[in-house]
Amino acid sequence: MQKNKYLLLASSFTTLLLLATAARQEHFAKEWRNIQDQGHSEEGPIPVQLRQIVNPALGISDRCVSCHVAMAPGEELVAGSPVLHRHRPVAHDPAEYGCTVCHGGQGLATARADAHGDVDFWPQPMLPPDMGEAGCGTCHAHVAIPNVDALAASRGVFERRSCLACHRVDGRGGVARRASTLRRRGTRQPAQVGLDGPDLSRVGTTGFNARWYEDHLAKSAGESTGETAAPWASLFGPIADADRAALRTYLTTRVGAPDLVEAKAMFLSTGCLGCHTVSGVGGEEGPDLTRVGDKDPGQVDFAQVPGSRSLANWNLEHFRSPGAVAAGSQMPVLGLAEDQIRTLTFYVLSLRRRDLPGSYLPTDRLRVTRFGEREFTSDGATIFSAFCSGCHGVDGMGRRSPGLPAFPSVANPDFLSRVSDDFLATTVRLGRPGRRMPAWGQIAGGLRPDEITAVVRYLRTRSGIAAPFDPKPRRWVKGDARAGERLFASICSGCHGKTGQGAEGPALNSRVLLDSATDTYLVETIGSGRRGTAMAGFLTPSPVRPTLAPDEIEAVVAFLRTW
Amino acid sequence: MTSEATSRSALSEFADNLRAAPRRIRETAFRSGTPNTDRTRSTFVFGNVFLHLHSVRVHRWSLRWLTTAGLGIASVAAFLITLVTGVLLMFYYKPYPDVAYASIKDIHFVVPTGRFMRNIHRWAANVMVVTVILHMARVFYTAAYRSPREFNWLIGLALFVTTLGLSFTGYLLPWDQLAFWATTIGANIAQSPREVTDALGVTDIFDPGGIQRLLLLGSDTVGPEALIRFYLLHVMILPLVLTTLLAVHVWRIRKDGGLAKPVDADDRLGPLSQTYPVFTEAPAKTYHLAAVVRGRTEVVNRGPEQTVPSMPHLFYAELAVAMLTVAVCLALALVSDAPLKEVANPLVPENPAKAPWYFLGLQELVSFSAFMGGIGIPAIVILGLALIPYLDREDQQTGDWFGGPGGWRLVQRSIVVGLGSVLALEAVAIRFGWLREWFPDIPQLVVTLVNPATILTLVYGAYSVWLMRRHASARAGALGLFTCFLCGFLVLTIIGTYFRGPNWVFYWSPADWPRH
Repeated sequence: MQKNKYLLLASSFTTLLLLATAARQEHFAKEWRNIQDQGHSEEGPIPVQLRQIVNPALGISDRCVSCHVAMAPGEELVAGSPVLHRHRPVAHDPAEYGCTVCHGGQGLATARADAHGDVDFWPQPMLPPDMGEAGCGTCHAHVAIPNVDALAASRGVFERRSCLACHRVDGRGGVARRASTLRRRGTRQPAQVGLDGPDLSRVGTTGFNARWYEDHLAKSAGESTGETAAPWASLFGPIADADRAALRTYLTTRVGAPDLVEAKAMFLSTGCLGCHTVSGVGGEEGPDLTRVGDKDPGQVDFAQVPGSRSLANWNLEHFRSPGAVAAGSQMPVLGLAEDQIRTLTFYVLSLRRRDLPGSYLPTDRLRVTRFGEREFTSDGATIFSAFCSGCHGVDGMGRRSPGLPAFPSVANPDFLSRVSDDFLATTVRLGRPGRRMPAWGQIAGGLRPDEITAVVRYLRTRSGIAAPFDPKPRRWVKGDARAGERLFASICSGCHGKTGQGAEGPALNSRVLLDSATDTYLVETIGSGRRGTAMAGFLTPSPVRPTLAPDEIEAVVAFLRTW
Repeated sequence: MTSEATSRSALSEFADNLRAAPRRIRETAFRSGTPNTDRTRSTFVFGNVFLHLHSVRVHRWSLRWLTTAGLGIASVAAFLITLVTGVLLMFYYKPYPDVAYASIKDIHFVVPTGRFMRNIHRWAANVMVVTVILHMARVFYTAAYRSPREFNWLIGLALFVTTLGLSFTGYLLPWDQLAFWATTIGANIAQSPREVTDALGVTDIFDPGGIQRLLLLGSDTVGPEALIRFYLLHVMILPLVLTTLLAVHVWRIRKDGGLAKPVDADDRLGPLSQTYPVFTEAPAKTYHLAAVVRGRTEVVNRGPEQTVPSMPHLFYAELAVAMLTVAVCLALALVSDAPLKEVANPLVPENPAKAPWYFLGLQELVSFSAFMGGIGIPAIVILGLALIPYLDREDQQTGDWFGGPGGWRLVQRSIVVGLGSVLALEAVAIRFGWLREWFPDIPQLVVTLVNPATILTLVYGAYSVWLMRRHASARAGALGLFTCFLCGFLVLTIIGTYFRGPNWVFYWSPADWPRH
C-alpha cells in the first residue's frame, strides 16, 4: 500500500501542477490580456476583458478588437502599444461591418496567429496589410474602370483643370483642410478655410450631380459677392467636351479605393481577359479567375514558391514565372516590372465573393449581376488592352515564336489598309474555329456588338488607316483552280499547311476567313504581302522564292474558293 | 416543575441541539465513523451506496500491480474524466451543422479553460480506448475469463464495443472536414453488405447495408439528422449503456469471488508486511445475512488471512491509478491541441479521408474488400472473442500471465508469425496489387472472398488450429490466435495511419503525397 500511497501523492502533485499551469496558460498568459494591460485612456487603465464586434446579419463575431482595442466602437481614445491604435478612416464603419469582411482572417480567434489566419486549416487568411483595399472586391464590383492609359489621362485632365483646388480626392487636394473630411460617425468635419467643395473620393458609388458642369459655370459666371467670388471666377472656366468625358470617366472611378482601381486598370491593360474569364466574360484558355482570391492556401501547391505560404506570395511568384510555379501552364512570361506584378497581385486578391444578406448588397454588384453593366469601360482602347493585347500585343503588332503559329499583327498597316470593317468585326465575333483565336461574340466570349464595333473603330483611329474602298464585287476571281492547287501545294503549303490548316502561317481553310474575306483582299495580300511578317509579296520578283503572275495569283485564289 | 422551568429547559435543549448540530450533521451523514477498526472499515464500504460495489475485503493478489496493471480502473477513470469534461463542453456546444463549428471555435478561444477542457476530453477518450484494449489483453493473457467469469468477459466485450461507439459518435460533433468525412467513411462501411447483395443481385429485396446506413445517418447524407442523432447517442444513450454495463461488470467481479487469481496465490504471496489483526473487537454483528445461495461461494474453506480491508488498501490503489490517469490526460492536453480542420464542406472531400485511428486498421481491410473489412472480419473477430471462454475450459494456470501450454514462448512465436504474415500480405498487396489489378473483369464475389483480409484471417486461424493440435490444448490455440490478432491490428492500424495517402495509395512519407 505504501507504493500506492506514494504514487497517489506524486500523481496528485503532478495534477495540481498541471492544473496550475493550465490555469495560467488559459487565463493569464493570453496575448490579448498582455496587450490590454498596456492600454490606457484618459480615465486611466482600460478594463481588461474579451471584446468583440457582432453582426448577425453578416454572420460575424470578430474578436480582433480584443487586441486592436481602439478599433472597437466607443474605444477610440485608448492609447498604448501600437497594436491598440485606432483604425484609419474608411468607408465602412468597423463597428457595423466588423473586420473580417474586408480584411479576411479568423474573427472567431483570440490568439494572434489564429486570428490572422496564418495557421493550417483556416481557408481565408488575412490580406496583406498594404493590400487592404483588395477586400473591397468581396462585396463590390467596381463598374466602368478604364485601362491604365485612359485612367491616367482622365486623372491628368482632373488635375490640370484645378479641380483639386476645392475638392479633396483620396486624401489630396482641398484648401487648408483638417485631416479628413470623410464622414466619420455621421458628423462632417467643418473646413477651416477655403471653399466647401465636397469630397469626391466616393462619388463613383454615391453618385454625383449630372449637371455639375452647368451649375459650376453658373456659379462662376454669376457669383460676384462675398469672399468666395474670387476663387470661382478665376479657377473655373469652360471645359471642352472631350475633357468633360474624361472627367466623367475619372469621377466614376472614384469609389474610395484608389489603389484597387489602379490595380484593376492595370489588369485591364495587360490582356488577361484574353485567356481568363472574370464574371462571365473573357477567354477560356486559362482558369476562370472570378473567385481566385478566395482560394484556400492549404489547397495550393507551394512546391516551387519560396517564402511564405500565402496567396499573395504565390501570385507574385506566378506572375514572375508562371510555368515554374504552375506545372503545365501555358501562360507566357509577361515581362512585367516588380511594381506592376505587385499591382496585378493586388487585383487578383480582390477577386473574392461572400454571401451577403440583401440589405448589404452594394448597388454596383447589383448593376453588374442583374443589369449587365460592365466592370470595364466599353471604349475600344480598354477592350483592346483587356481582351486582345495578351495575344496581339499592347501595340497590336502580334507575337511570333519560332515553329509556332504566330499571333497576327492586327495593327499591321498592310493588313488594315486592305481589310474591311466587316471583316474585322466578323473575325472578332466568330474567331477562327479550331485555332487559337476564340469567338468573342455574345455567345462565346461575351462581348457585345457595340463593344466589338468599338474595338474595330479603335484599330482604325489608332492606326489612322481607314477602311478601303473596293468597287469590285466580293467574288470576282475567275481562275484555274487546278493550276491553283498545284501552285498552292508547291509554294504556299510550306507555311500554310498542306490542306491550308495553318502551320507557321494562318489557317486559310477557315470558314470564317473565307466567308468574310473578299477576293480583292486575298489577291492583294498574296500579291503585295504583309510587311513585317513572313508573307512576302509574290508579285515582286525575288531571287529566293518563286514569283507569281497575276493570273497565277487568281488561280490560287480560285483554288482557295473551292474550299 | 413550574411551566417556566419547562419552557427554559425546552429552550436550553433547543440551544444545545443547535450547538450540537454541526457534529450531528457530520455523524448522520457519515454514520460508520472513522474507519480505524475492522468493523468501521467494513461498514465504511458496505454502508455507502457508491462504495458498496466493492467487496469489504480484497485479496492481496488482486492488489499487485502485475496482476492487473490497474488497467480496469484506468479505463473507468478515463471514462469519468470524459464524463466530467463532456458535461462541461455541453454547456457551450451546439449540435446543429450551421453553428456546431463556430461553437467549437468559441469553446477554444473564448470560454475560459475551454481549450483545455476540450483537449482533456479528446485525450481521455483516446486513453480510454487504449486502456480498454490493453485491459482486454490483460484479462485474456491471465486467462481470467475462465469459469465462473465467462459472462463477465462478454459484458467486457459489450463495454469495448460501446467505448468504440462513444468515440465514433463523438468524432462527428466538431463538424469539421475531419469529422464529416470520417463519418461518411463509417456510414459507407455500414453500407458494405451491399458489396455482397449487389454481386448477388438481391439488393432490391434484401438490403441490410442500406438499412444500416439509413439508421446511422437518418438521411441519405451526413447532415443535421446525423449530427443530432450522433449527439444523442454520444451524450445520453451510450453513456447510460456504458454505466449500466459497468455496474454489471463490477458487480459480477464480486459475485465471481473477486479478481481471478492462481489457486496457489496465498502461498506465493509473502507474509503480510504489517500484521493486520482481523477482528479487533468483539463482533456484535459484523455481517448481515444477505442471501442464502445454492452451492458454495469461492471463499468457503479459506480464511481471510491473505485478504486486507478494502478501506484503505483497495481505495488507495484505485485512487492512485485514477490520479495517474488524470495526470497523464492533463499533461497530454496541455501539450497537444485537439485537432480542428476547416468547417465541413460536402463539396470538398478530404483525400485521404480517414476514420478515427482505432478504425484505421479496419479501413485498411476495407480497402481490400468493403464487406469483409467492414462487416465480415469485425463480426468474425467479435464472435471469436466472445467464444473464447466457452472454447477454453481448461483450468491450468488461471491467473498467471501467459498461463497455459506453451506459455510465453508460444506467445513470442505467435508474435513472429502474426507480424510476419500481416507484413508479408501487405507487402504483396502494396507492391503487386491484388486480383482486380491482374484480372480487371474478375467477379466481385471472388475478390470479396479472396483478399488479403480473408487470407490473413485464414492464416491466423490455421496457425491457431495447428497450435491446438500441437499442444493438445484449446488455450494454446487461443493464445496464438489472440496474439496474432493483436499484431495484425497493430500493423494494420500503423499502415493505415502513417503510410496511406491520397486515394489510399501507399507512400513512405507524407512528403511524397502528390499536391495539386
